[in-house]
Amino acid sequence: MAKPQESERALPEYGPVTNADLTRAMWRHNITLQFSWNYERMQALGYLWSMLPVIQRVSKTKEDLIANMQRHLVFYNTNPAVGSPVIFGASCAMEEKQQGEVGDSLKVALMGPLAGIGDTIQAILLRPIIAVLAASLALSGSVSGPIIFVIFGLFWFLFKVPQFWWGYRQGIGLVGEVTAGGRLDRITEAATIMGLGVVGGFIPSIMAKLTTTVAFARSVTVDGQATEKVVQLQPTLDQILPYMIPVLVVGFAYWLLKNRKQSPLKVLLYLTVLAFALSYAHIM
Amino acid sequence: MTYGIAMALVLAILAYVCVLANLGPSLLWTEPLIAGWLTGMLVGNVEVGITIGATLTLMSLGMWTYGGATIPDFMTGAILGTAFGALPGVGLTGGLAVAVPAALLMTQLDVLGRATTTLFIHGADKAVARGDVKAVSWWHLMGHLPWGLTRAIPVFLAVWLGAKPVQDFINWMPASFMNAMKLTGAMLPALGFALLLSMLPVKKYWPFAVIGFVLFAYLKLPMVGIALVSVAAAVLFIQLKGGTVRG
Repeated sequence: MAKPQESERALPEYGPVTNADLTRAMWRHNITLQFSWNYERMQALGYLWSMLPVIQRVSKTKEDLIANMQRHLVFYNTNPAVGSPVIFGASCAMEEKQQGEVGDSLKVALMGPLAGIGDTIQAILLRPIIAVLAASLALSGSVSGPIIFVIFGLFWFLFKVPQFWWGYRQGIGLVGEVTAGGRLDRITEAATIMGLGVVGGFIPSIMAKLTTTVAFARSVTVDGQATEKVVQLQPTLDQILPYMIPVLVVGFAYWLLKNRKQSPLKVLLYLTVLAFALSYAHIM
Repeated sequence: MTYGIAMALVLAILAYVCVLANLGPSLLWTEPLIAGWLTGMLVGNVEVGITIGATLTLMSLGMWTYGGATIPDFMTGAILGTAFGALPGVGLTGGLAVAVPAALLMTQLDVLGRATTTLFIHGADKAVARGDVKAVSWWHLMGHLPWGLTRAIPVFLAVWLGAKPVQDFINWMPASFMNAMKLTGAMLPALGFALLLSMLPVKKYWPFAVIGFVLFAYLKLPMVGIALVSVAAAVLFIQLKGGTVRG
């Protein structure tokens, strides 16, 4: 019998995905997803590392393994506590069923909307309520304030576990369904619409502080007497379009990213330079 | 009175652990109230810790690292503020006077940490191309070094050098520079939003973003209300097209 070539020999890890593999992948994701967070591809490397226990099982040859790993090194970013475990669970199911590419599009379609939903739940619905409660307890001298916050954090950590398994079951279900494509499209579409609606409100609310301090001194004649009157620019801008500056800055960043294909790091640099220039020119 | 090198090291480790506990498991230890409390226990003055922590928590209401945006580092602020506030002769007011500018200055180091980790993913690219699973793991698991060290080193130096040099340094910084940094911090969320939008099919669904904007900018609806309207709009849109969401 001819000796099989190196590239054709199955890797030692190759085989069916076990429950233990899934559990390992889940803890990797839940504990370390953002350890290597960076401006360029954000949570991508964490996603790949968490997925390895599953990927190593489904990759028969070294070439397969490399190709599968490379698929997961693309840009990924979403809310790590609310949302990402669902996406990751569904993605694990797709990999297990040899539907990695479908899993990739699901991942890209869901990460934006779920980031919007997860951030809304965490930062806007729950954190302010807990923060005000915990801070007022602490200011009255009680250590129950910080303890409440610690328990709240523990809750987020543990809440990732059911999310993962729910996402996994959804993923397996979608693969099995004949109409999976159509249903997936509708879920993705609904999530996208929700995400965009929320982002539309987020932009002005988060960036409300961006206002101009520019004012003009104008001489006006009141009752035959010439007086100097200071006219602020901001109220005029507000009449044209409220929150005009936040919209312009986000539009500028989006244009750089999307139309000029600049890396997030470069955009960051441009925004910093812009902020320094506007600040030193006493415009903002 | 100042702290010795041992306490500086202990608080530097605390800063590292707090950043990591939030980054990975989402445990929220970067909340100033938690960081201040833990620091208070270590320096032996819990009351100063929770007071400074609570004050900073209230200051940071509404701040969130949307899409990975940089916000003032109130965690480091709380650690330093508590450490100095617990010293006799500095007190609560003195501690807060250190905490707030320190939190603002630290935004620069947050950016540095997030940028440096980019080198790690390029290392991982090469490891993946070789099929070297061990090296991939190493690049990921060491990725927290820039994150932790950008907090631990300043905390170590500040606690070791003592309150006075830190206060002198902050006073020495020109106000115009501090203003420019504050503006940078306010502008950086734009990158997060732009990243988010660039992942979504904006061309097809832009009207929904406009609706969200109008609800906030003109109708002053709180975010929960905007989220609810968005859910209703999504379901209606799909139903009108002749499908159901649950399908």
